[in-house]
Amino acid sequence: MRYSDTLIDHFRHPRNVGMMRDPDGVGESEYAECMDLTRVFLRVREGRIEDARFQTYGCGPTIAASSAGTELIRGAALADVLELADARVEAAVGGLPPDRAHAAQVVTAAIRAAARDAAARCRMTSRQGD
Amino acid sequence: MNRRVYLDHNASTPVHPEVLEAMLPYFSERFGNPSSIHGFGREAREGLDTARERISSFLKVSKDEVVFTSGGTESDNMAIKGVAAARGRGHLVTSAVEHHAVLRTCETLAKQGFDLTVVPVDGHGMVSPDDVRRAMRPDTILVTIMHANSEVGTIQPVAEIGRITREHGVTFHVDGVQTFGKLPLDLDALNIDLLSFSGHKIYGPKGIAGLYIRKGTKMASVQHGGEHERRRRAGTENVPGAVGLGKAVEVRARDMAEEETRVRTLRDRLWTGLSKRVPEVRLNGHPTERLPGTCNVCFRHVESESIVLGLDLKGIGVSAGSACTSGSVEPSHVLVAMGVPLDWAMGTVRCSLGRTTTAEDIDYVLDSVEPLAGKLRSLSPMKV
Repeated sequence: MRYSDTLIDHFRHPRNVGMMRDPDGVGESEYAECMDLTRVFLRVREGRIEDARFQTYGCGPTIAASSAGTELIRGAALADVLELADARVEAAVGGLPPDRAHAAQVVTAAIRAAARDAAARCRMTSRQGD
Repeated sequence: MNRRVYLDHNASTPVHPEVLEAMLPYFSERFGNPSSIHGFGREAREGLDTARERISSFLKVSKDEVVFTSGGTESDNMAIKGVAAARGRGHLVTSAVEHHAVLRTCETLAKQGFDLTVVPVDGHGMVSPDDVRRAMRPDTILVTIMHANSEVGTIQPVAEIGRITREHGVTFHVDGVQTFGKLPLDLDALNIDLLSFSGHKIYGPKGIAGLYIRKGTKMASVQHGGEHERRRRAGTENVPGAVGLGKAVEVRARDMAEEETRVRTLRDRLWTGLSKRVPEVRLNGHPTERLPGTCNVCFRHVESESIVLGLDLKGIGVSAGSACTSGSVEPSHVLVAMGVPLDWAMGTVRCSLGRTTTAEDIDYVLDSVEPLAGKLRSLSPMKV
């Protein structure tokens, strides 16, 4: 098998699947070359990720990376998730073959986009509260 | 332990036990070089001759018209480049759904100064003989059209195309890799001048194939360095491979007709089951004029490789219709030529059945693919 056991486990049993009602942040990323599409929903409480969900269209590694990536950021500080590196998501699926590196990239980009959205909404709310 | 089901027979097949048994002595007992004049060489030569005889009698052609090669790709290259080299210039005709061994070879020749016409196909992947007729020019030197497509299984109207090439006095090459030993083939009736065929698609070994060259066909050698194969293909012959191919052909001649009916029934069981149990699927290829074991299916809004991986984890081997290479997906050129919409084409899976496939295998595949497609769709942001 060219994929790690961790990746296969996430593909077989994806965690955090589905949409979220009233999310605090939503982000999407598409990898045009192979049409992979990932959408991430975040619930943020006191600056930390309380819940993360995803929807993904893509190959096995992208589905697995979506599961592992959303698991990885639970409990993390929103500020850190804004800077999440592709390598951390890649590590979370036990590595990727070079020709599937995009799986981590598309998922990480969607997570960062959702974090940016959450951060922007947060600023808006605080301004409204001023 | 999962059940294991192999549904990728268009990619390769397991060596038939009778084939393996026939090959074994030629590795270490009858190992001589068939070009040597001593007894060791003569034993190997005998094996090679018997193999050639079996193939030529199966094709109802002369022994001198069969050349052994290393694979279908080499056979296609030899046929096309051989005709091109003999003529030096001219016009080639091929179709948009050929194997890359044909398409890339023709494109390479086009870069070297030959003219090339690539005829289109219809939604079933079928070439229109009228398009071939319209493509013919006074300087046309070769028409190369496959017998059946490896991806979708559509069988091309080679008889009608053969009539056209004969009328025009143009050499007709047919890539028969997917039909040789699976469907009856009358080379004279079809006016075929060159036929590529391969061993490992018909329960023979890999690394051996052949090219039928009709007597009188203008060909130049593309590989030099010896007098082998009547100076048409230099290099010591792969004797165990050739013996295996000869035996495989003998076995096919015996089993082919019965197996065709059986496999066709199983293939239809697979498609009927899929279309009943999985929403938003479509069958690619011609509804009737199709290889008996080929079932190429699109799962809309599901990505091919995720199905292939999911089935692999259930012990099932199928192939993806749209391959993701180096991070970019290339929808199959065959599906593109057929005009299959991208959102369908991206979810294409080819199942190709063979001699050991059983009804239980098909039911296991159906039981596995139904929940898998449902699960993958439930993950997807694209709703069906």
